[in-house]
Amino acid sequence: MKRRTMLVGIAALVTGVFAAPAMAAFPEKPITVICPWSPGGGTDVLLRALSKEAEKFLGQSITVVNQTGGAGAIGHNAIRAARPDGYTVGMITFELNSLPPQGLIPFDYKAFDPLMRVNADPAALTVKKDAPYNTLKEFVDYAKKNPSEITIGNSAPGSVWHIAAGLMADKTGIQVKHVPFDGAAPAVTALVGGHLKAVAVSIPEVRGQVQAGNLKILGVMDTERDALFPAVSTFKEQGVDVAFHTWRGLGLPKGVPADVKAKLADSFKKAMETPDFKEFLKKTSLNPAYLGPDDFSKFLAQNYKDVEAVMKGLGLAKK
Amino acid sequence: MDFGLLFHSFGNVMLDWHVLLAIFIGVTGGITIGALPGLTATMGVALLVPFTFGRPPVESLAMLLGIYCGGMYGGSISAILIRTPGTPAAAATVLEGYPMGQRGEAGRALAMALFASFSGGMIGALIMTFLSPFVAGVALEFSYVEYFALALFGLSVIISISGTSIIKGIMSGFFGLLLSTIGMDPISGFPRFVFGRMDLMEGPAFIPTLIGLFAVAELFSNIEKMGVTEKIQARIGQFLPSWADIKTSANNIGKSSLIGTIVGAIPGAGGDIAAFVSYAEAKRSSKHPEKFGTGLIEGVAATESANNACSGGAMIPLLSLGVPGDAVTAVLLGAFIIQGLQPGPLLYKEHLDVVYNVFASMIVANVAMLIVGAVGVRFFAKVIGIQKEILIPIIFVLSLVGSYAMRQNVFDVYLTIGFGVVGYIMQRYHYPLSPILLALILGPMAESNLRRSMVVSGGDWHILFSRPIAVGLMVLAVAFLAASVWNHKRIERRLTEAKLIAAEGASA
Repeated sequence: MKRRTMLVGIAALVTGVFAAPAMAAFPEKPITVICPWSPGGGTDVLLRALSKEAEKFLGQSITVVNQTGGAGAIGHNAIRAARPDGYTVGMITFELNSLPPQGLIPFDYKAFDPLMRVNADPAALTVKKDAPYNTLKEFVDYAKKNPSEITIGNSAPGSVWHIAAGLMADKTGIQVKHVPFDGAAPAVTALVGGHLKAVAVSIPEVRGQVQAGNLKILGVMDTERDALFPAVSTFKEQGVDVAFHTWRGLGLPKGVPADVKAKLADSFKKAMETPDFKEFLKKTSLNPAYLGPDDFSKFLAQNYKDVEAVMKGLGLAKK
Repeated sequence: MDFGLLFHSFGNVMLDWHVLLAIFIGVTGGITIGALPGLTATMGVALLVPFTFGRPPVESLAMLLGIYCGGMYGGSISAILIRTPGTPAAAATVLEGYPMGQRGEAGRALAMALFASFSGGMIGALIMTFLSPFVAGVALEFSYVEYFALALFGLSVIISISGTSIIKGIMSGFFGLLLSTIGMDPISGFPRFVFGRMDLMEGPAFIPTLIGLFAVAELFSNIEKMGVTEKIQARIGQFLPSWADIKTSANNIGKSSLIGTIVGAIPGAGGDIAAFVSYAEAKRSSKHPEKFGTGLIEGVAATESANNACSGGAMIPLLSLGVPGDAVTAVLLGAFIIQGLQPGPLLYKEHLDVVYNVFASMIVANVAMLIVGAVGVRFFAKVIGIQKEILIPIIFVLSLVGSYAMRQNVFDVYLTIGFGVVGYIMQRYHYPLSPILLALILGPMAESNLRRSMVVSGGDWHILFSRPIAVGLMVLAVAFLAASVWNHKRIERRLTEAKLIAAEGASA
């Protein structure tokens, strides 16, 4: 009698243990989000703000882990190689499309399952406030009159802003010297100090110095004007048809079950719509650009083609 | 300067117990983070930034500044006790601090580190409060040419930290420079010496290298001595330095604090450089340079006051120009923006109260650091009395966890162990390790800025001599180099004399 009760007990326990995972809803333990960039940087702060909101909808805590190095290569690789159970999500950034053409990583966007795009920020051609040009055309004229004088700072060799500046020079037919820095901030500092002629980085990166009256924006590489600086016209309005953005989004390793992916996509989308996160975007002047999983996939494929073509044209791609 | 508002800000910070508590929590957390190898003040501040969403600016900034000040001091604790700089800025503190600890004077060294950190931090904070507008301009004067010159000047310090042999010091330095070429070329983006490994694309990560060369190497040589040497008889009752120690170090503290504040105010140059430069200056101007390296209290005073003064210095360009002065202030810039505040000239115009609150918080944080540190010193110093058999495994685990924690990468753990072996061998054959660190910090700075200058000038070398600050720094570098070679000769002479006297004494 005693033994039978025990057997029944064990049987019940075993069934219970095996049945539980199938019944429980995802997620039942904390989620890890990989950030390929350093703590405290723009990507990191954005991801932490988003994760904080998403926790409410997932009902689990989210830990942000910074796996940095190799111009984003190490973090992207970690996301790609993570166990595809939905408990590891990652923030993928523009570099996912610029590192493969340089031959720096042996995989590309196709190795990921895209979840959503979060933001997209256009490059803005920014110069010193007291510079003798006020429009893109005057800048181009000046550059043509003074060849080899224009130096444009960017955030790293082959980086998004290097490509943006190259694209601009290519489309306007001017000669410029590209000066790579270790991140956008030192390049902006060098511009404020007068050691460079221009930078073509995103608006959040120059906003403070523009508002302080040290720098001015000559044009944004976007189809629409910026919300914060509506007086600044776009490149297209000034006769140069260039639109160029950096972007950030969330991605999963390949093979995450569809229901888990749907739950994640839904929770992070809701997180993007909370008033607190909207307030955060406003304060940091980041440009929200939500795209769902399918649209983000299409966007990645198109963006990859565009970036590769531009990099080949500029000689930044590995032959 | 609006003194009424400044007093009001002090009131805001000191009379609101929320803010005061935030500072004390920040300082205590900062000291802990700083003392743990692998965790730096930068990480501490970065990890806490998200928690400041939706909290009042005075309180959040006070806590972040507390971590910043505490973390800078915390690094010296592990440098003195276990030869592991808790933060890169404490790397120079190992030079004198560790020998002092081994001599049984850990308490004295810790007390001086605390006092020097407090004095340096205070001087830096006061310069920030009263002279910001004058110092801020320096930050913008620095272009690639000046940075290259600054890196050269920094490298000229190598001889001063070489120990007994100049040749071995230079060999270590060049080994470090070679290591610093591993990774992506800073201008063309081409990967160098990476052997197809993604983990090496940014070169050997600095903190794992630091932990390997110092902590792990020392553990290996400690294992060798295990059971042979006796336990260190430590005097640990002290929590403030004696009046005599303060008197011998006062001059160095003053000088180093100034060096620290200025180096801190230059964006991209931080506490690590300031500490090494101050150490070399302390040695150069000392009456008995031959005693440096054997555990000299002035050395600890110089390095610790310099790196803490850096914090105040680095805040200057952040607040007045919106340009961060070092890695921590770069993270703080983000914290300000999340609060809806844009540091820079506009902050002074529109939110002067915030600026003054930062001044007040920084000064109060330094006082809080002195209090928390003084309470802690007695406990920290006990570490040195723990039996080696127990202490070595604990430090080994902490070292490996620390090297992993920096970017959650197992490769870095192997790197740490590898550099531990390298460090052990070098130490055994009396090759100094600090020149490697200095080269790892300054090598990339020298290379990328030289190359940047060449891009801008189109390959014309004259650009290097076209700017007065740069030329001044290069002249200083040559002068310093010459002085330290001459100084070294003097040291060798004195050491031989001492030996001769000892030998005569023995034979007589």
